[in-house]
Amino acid sequence: MNDQQRLLRRIRAYQFSLWELHMFLDTHPNNCEAAKKMEEYRARTEEMVKEYEDKYGPLNESTSTTSRWAWITGPWPWETGEEEEG
Amino acid sequence: MWVYEKKLQYPIKIKNTNPALAKIICAQYGGPNGELGASLRYLSQRYTMPYPELKAILTDIGTEELGHLEMVGTIVYQLTRNLTPEQIQKAGFDAYFVNHTTGVYPADANGTPFSAGSLAVAGDAITDLHEDMAAEQKARTTYDNILRYCDDPDVRDAIRFLREREVVHYQRFGEGLRITTDKLDSKNFYAFNPEFDRR
Repeated sequence: MNDQQRLLRRIRAYQFSLWELHMFLDTHPNNCEAAKKMEEYRARTEEMVKEYEDKYGPLNESTSTTSRWAWITGPWPWETGEEEEG
Repeated sequence: MWVYEKKLQYPIKIKNTNPALAKIICAQYGGPNGELGASLRYLSQRYTMPYPELKAILTDIGTEELGHLEMVGTIVYQLTRNLTPEQIQKAGFDAYFVNHTTGVYPADANGTPFSAGSLAVAGDAITDLHEDMAAEQKARTTYDNILRYCDDPDVRDAIRFLREREVVHYQRFGEGLRITTDKLDSKNFYAFNPEFDRR
């Protein structure tokens, strides 16, 4: 695993933790500790996404950083990267 | 509305094809305990649900299930790439192939097409939350059974992630049920239906 893959993996892990906290807060809306942790993770995720985009280009997830061409270019999430690009 | 994110919730990259395994994993794409039924169940139940916590958790879990549907579709797709007709026949995938080629179709492991008969919307919070908790456990059992037949580490990794999510969702629905009963008549939870009866 190279540095780019390692950073992407960390970003994905943080995004998953954010989702877990988001759902936990659905049924524990008054849990300040979880809300605080979520804000910490959100800030850290934003930092890492910025670092990634500065070094390696758009992460392909927001309209502000995604060109039309990047959107239609593979690999799509289900693909292995070995598919033919028409 | 929904916005598509061009990524999987958990990455999947399967090196070796295996149509026989794809055939049983299909169960979680279009089968009775699968991810399509899960997303439709929760996203349909939420309209008449009382209490903000329940509307939120059904929306969020229903949304995550759509991501799981994509993950299961990805596994089936990657397990059935670049096959020869001989490999398809040898794996017992020919009965599926004759109708769908290697397209991903929502059917159970026997080929029976997806049916909304595999989910319920009773319009009663206690009833529907019990349905949801049972659905998560049925999906967990199905993933456990898939794991019995699966020795490919690339596939096991993704299936174990999906299995674990069923356990987390079961926990969240259980909390939703507790929130519901806390708001009802403590002497008789069934005195009225909070989704229908005006009090």
